This record gives sequence, C-alpha cells and structure tokens, in this order.
Amino acid sequence: MTGRLDRIGLLAVPALGFLAAIYALPLAMLLAKSVQTAEGFSLAEYRAFFADDYNIRVLARTLRVAALTTLLAFVIAYPTAFAMSRAKGIWLTVFLVALVLPMSLGVVVKAFAWSILFRANGVLNSILMGIGMTERPVRMLFTETALIVGAANVFLPFMVLPIYSVVRQLDTRLPEAAASLGATPWFRFTRVTLPLTLPGVVAGSAFVFSMSVSMYVIPSLIVGERQQNLSMLIARSFLYLRNEALGSTIAAILLAIAIAVVLLSGWLATRLGARR
Amino acid sequence: MAGMTQQAQERHYLDVWGVAKSFRGTRVMSEMNFRMDRGELVSLLGPSGCGKTTLLRIIAGLMEADQGDVVLGGRNITRLPAHRRNISVVFQNYALFPHLTVAENVAFGLRARGTAKSACAGPVEEALKLVRMEAFAGRPVSALSGGQQQRVAVARALVVQPDLLLLDEPFSALDRKLRETMQVELKALLRDRGITAIFVTHDQEEAMGVSDRIAVMNAGRIEQFADPSTLYSRPATPFVMDFVGLSTRLSGTVTHSDGHVSIVGTDHGEVTAPGAYPPGTPVQVGVRPELAAPGPGENTISVRLADVMVLGSKTVLHGAVHGEDRVMCELPGIRTGLHRGEPVQLGWAVADTLIHEAAP
Repeated sequence: MTGRLDRIGLLAVPALGFLAAIYALPLAMLLAKSVQTAEGFSLAEYRAFFADDYNIRVLARTLRVAALTTLLAFVIAYPTAFAMSRAKGIWLTVFLVALVLPMSLGVVVKAFAWSILFRANGVLNSILMGIGMTERPVRMLFTETALIVGAANVFLPFMVLPIYSVVRQLDTRLPEAAASLGATPWFRFTRVTLPLTLPGVVAGSAFVFSMSVSMYVIPSLIVGERQQNLSMLIARSFLYLRNEALGSTIAAILLAIAIAVVLLSGWLATRLGARR
Repeated sequence: MAGMTQQAQERHYLDVWGVAKSFRGTRVMSEMNFRMDRGELVSLLGPSGCGKTTLLRIIAGLMEADQGDVVLGGRNITRLPAHRRNISVVFQNYALFPHLTVAENVAFGLRARGTAKSACAGPVEEALKLVRMEAFAGRPVSALSGGQQQRVAVARALVVQPDLLLLDEPFSALDRKLRETMQVELKALLRDRGITAIFVTHDQEEAMGVSDRIAVMNAGRIEQFADPSTLYSRPATPFVMDFVGLSTRLSGTVTHSDGHVSIVGTDHGEVTAPGAYPPGTPVQVGVRPELAAPGPGENTISVRLADVMVLGSKTVLHGAVHGEDRVMCELPGIRTGLHRGEPVQLGWAVADTLIHEAAP
C-alpha cells in the first residue's frame, strides 16, 4: 500500500520541479538581497522599512483593503454558492459561465467599464443627481470603497467556487434532521450548515485574501498612485527608485503575510475537518 | 413533551386526512387517509415510488401537502414547520452530524430546545445507555460502524421525547444478520418506552417483524391496512398478495359458481375457491406456499418441477409455468427424493385458496 502511494506521489514531481525552477529559486535569490549588504547579513532594511510611518500606513491600508475585499466577496459568494448547489441543468451552466467568463475579460477592460459607472459624470452619479439624492457628483472613482468593490468583483469566483464545492456535497438531510429535532432555521444554520461549510469559506478566503493583499493592476487602475499598497511600493522600488534591497524587503514582508494566511487557513481547515 | 400529556382521549392519535401531493404536475398521492393509535408501531410498506416516503415527509413537516390535514394528539399540525411538531425522524443514512461527537449529536435536540449544556448531560447519558452506546459518548461519529450509527440516531431521536417517531428505511444500510438483531432490539426499546412509531420500508419481512399493523402502499394509495397475519392470510388485493410473501398465483376464468364457492379454470387444472363470482369473471387464484403439499388435496394441480431449492429450514419447490403464473410450495426441513424435471401433484384446501378479480 505504502509502496503504491509512494509511486503515485511521483506524479507530483513535474509540478514540484516547475515550482522549484520558476518560482522558489528566483524568489529566494531576490529575497536574499533584502538581508545582503556590503558588510554581509543585516536586517537594517527591515528596521528602516518599519521605522517609516508612510510604509506602516501603506501596510495597514493593504491589509485593510484585503480584509474588506475578502469580507465583501464572502457576503456575496456564500448565498450564491447555495443557489448554485440547488441549480440544475441550464441554470447551473449559466451560473458557472457567469462566474468564469468575466475572468477571461481581464482587469483592464473591467476597470474602464467601472469608470463609466463611477466617474463624476458617470451613470451612477447621473442617477443620484437625477433623483435628488445629491447636489454635486459624489466622488467614487479613486476611493478605497471603489477599490474594494472592484477587487471583490474580480476575485469573486475564487470565493464562490470553493464554497460551492463544499455546499454541493452537503447532505441535505442534515438540516432536515436538525429541523425534526426542534432546531429553528437560525439554529440549523449556525450549528449545522455554517460549521459544515466553513472549510470552503476558509479556502475561498485564503484565495481572495492572498490575491487582494498582493494585487497590483486593480489598485493601479482604480485608485492610482495616490493610495499605494505594498505591491505598488515594491514596483516603485524596483522600477523608479532602482532600490533592489528595499523592493525585496517589501516583497519578503508580503510573502510573510501570504505564508501566514496559507498556514492559518491550513490549520483552520484541518481543525474544522478533523472531527468528521 | 407538552403534547404527550393531553388529548389522550382522542380516538385516533395520528390522523392523516385527505392528503394529496403532486410533483411538477404529477399526482403522487391523492386523498390519502391514514390513522393510528398511541403506542402503535406501524409500517408503511411498498415498492419505491409508492408514496411511502412522501407520506412520512408530510407527517414530519419536511414536505408540504397540497391539501389535507395532519392531526397529532388532537392538534392540527398541518401548517406547523417541522421544528415545532415534536416529531423525530431517523433517516435512512442516519444523518448524524459529522462535525459533532456522539454525545453532541444526542444533545442536539435538547440544545435546540434551549436546554442548558450542563442540563443535557443526564438525559444524553440515559439515552446512550438505552442503546448501549454510553462508552462511545466522546467519539466522533465517523468512527462508528453502521449499527452503532443507527443506535446513536435512535438515541438522538428519543432523547427529546417525541410525540411520534418516524423511521425511514432504518435497517436498509445494515447487513442481514445485524438488521435482524437491530429489529428485535429496536422493537423492544420502542415497546418498553411506549413510543408511537412509523417505519417506512420496502422489505415485507421487516415490516411484519417490527409492526403491529402494516399499511401496504401502491401508487400513492393504501391497498390494505391490517395486522401482519391478516395481511398474509387474507390479502385484500392481488398487489398485497404478491408484495407480502410470494405465493402460487394462477390466472384463470370463473366457470361455475354455486353461491359459496367458485370453480376457476386455469392452465394447470380446475381450482375451487371460496366466494361467489359470476361465471366468465377473469380472476387470479393463489395459495401461500407452506399451505400446499405434494399429493392430491381439495384442490390439485399437476406441474413439472422447475427447481428444488434446499434452504435448510425449508425446501422450496418451483413449478414450471408460463407467463405471469407462479407455482410454488414450501416444505419444512430438508426434503429429498424430489428432483428437477419430474412431474408432481400439489394439493391444498379450498379454505386456503385466495381469489381476487384480475386487474382490468
């Protein structure tokens, strides 16, 4: 049995080799620059990064935007996943196409589409002013809210699909059993449905959080340079400041956040899954 | 619990009245009437698609009837949601909560009714003792065997002291030996506690073993609702005769009737059956296999033996017949000297002969 499993394990070799050559090795070489100075190993770059208030603000904004994006995506995705799990035939196809097709459109097209909606003389402001909700156009483009809404839109499939795959396998008799035992709809949801679907939520949140914490194109298009995040800071360090040490330091911090998210979600998933 | 104390003087404890149900325009149940008394163990028996599970789900409140009423203990519960009916369900796959331990599963119903965690321990332990699972309280349910899972499901359903217990094919996931043990055990448990319960099953032996009365269902209707012995010895319809125990079954036409008995001509000879039927009536006659024996009787037919099955406690003879007809005979113990291909005479009493008008 073990021997068979070992040989099946060999099937992972191409993926591991690819990851090592294309991802791990260059990344390690890059990150090494963050602790390398003329005098040898040093954490000076990290000290300098955290000493700067501006960097702290960018770090905080990055984490806040990622957290709120994840939350918004979750709130929209969770009921959607249930609707999808009940959908049959053509409706399921419609759902899946609606989720997957926009991914092929690319962020740039979407961002320009949003600007039609959100800009000062855009559709949304025209409606608001038309019905007298506001005298002057509300600033929507270039705000953090617009960024969060846009990012949640782009990353939504990565929240819906993991939750959907868990919800689809949920035994519908479990909520029925709970009901026959006297559980109200709210009790059924909080004690049965939600706990059993949490692994999907954890996986989806890990996807969306790690993608929105490191996103570059979406904030560049929606909020621009005025409200930078960590990725934009990294790009600026490499491209404009030509400061490889600073760039790789921030990259290392971003990577640390991503690793923390993966470890945390992995731990949560096994904890939640351990008892079944 | 509250509902159990009052209304004991109601004539029928459970009264399902005029219930109808359609799925996507197809009537699966119309004008269903079904009544049972407190403390009775009743089975809904029928082939898949006969509506037995639909009826169970309507009683449980997991499905809404298009029309009709469900009255339990004098209380009309037709419009009550499942969680306010105090009717527990044991599901076919047990539907234990996979994220909870055995004890947490059993405590679920109590917690759902607002019982404090500390107050659950006593009743949970008692319920687990009832099904001899107290040693497993802290285990995850995934670590249990099928029989153990069923015991936990029963404990979980009983701990809330339901007014009615519904069991949907509760034994079908167990292997044969375990199934029989569990049937005996569960029946004794329900009897001791005076539980009113409805079993849904497609297995006639199971239904006859566990219930006081059996409702044989077919195509959304109850064909006969009677105790097991009546059902077996006096099936009301050809469907019941066929579904509850195999028997010899011959198609024929009434040739003569004297007002007390009718003579029926079949492919295998004349058969006399009790009851008056006008000559020319197409009928089905039959006899339970253990009531027939080799050799001539009041009724005698001749067939060639198609098979002789020695099963240990009994030997079963099958006659070679055509079409829908069936000829069989069960003899106690191991019989030798009967061989496949040999001609044989089978005889039985007129009083044991079953006769039904053939379905048009």
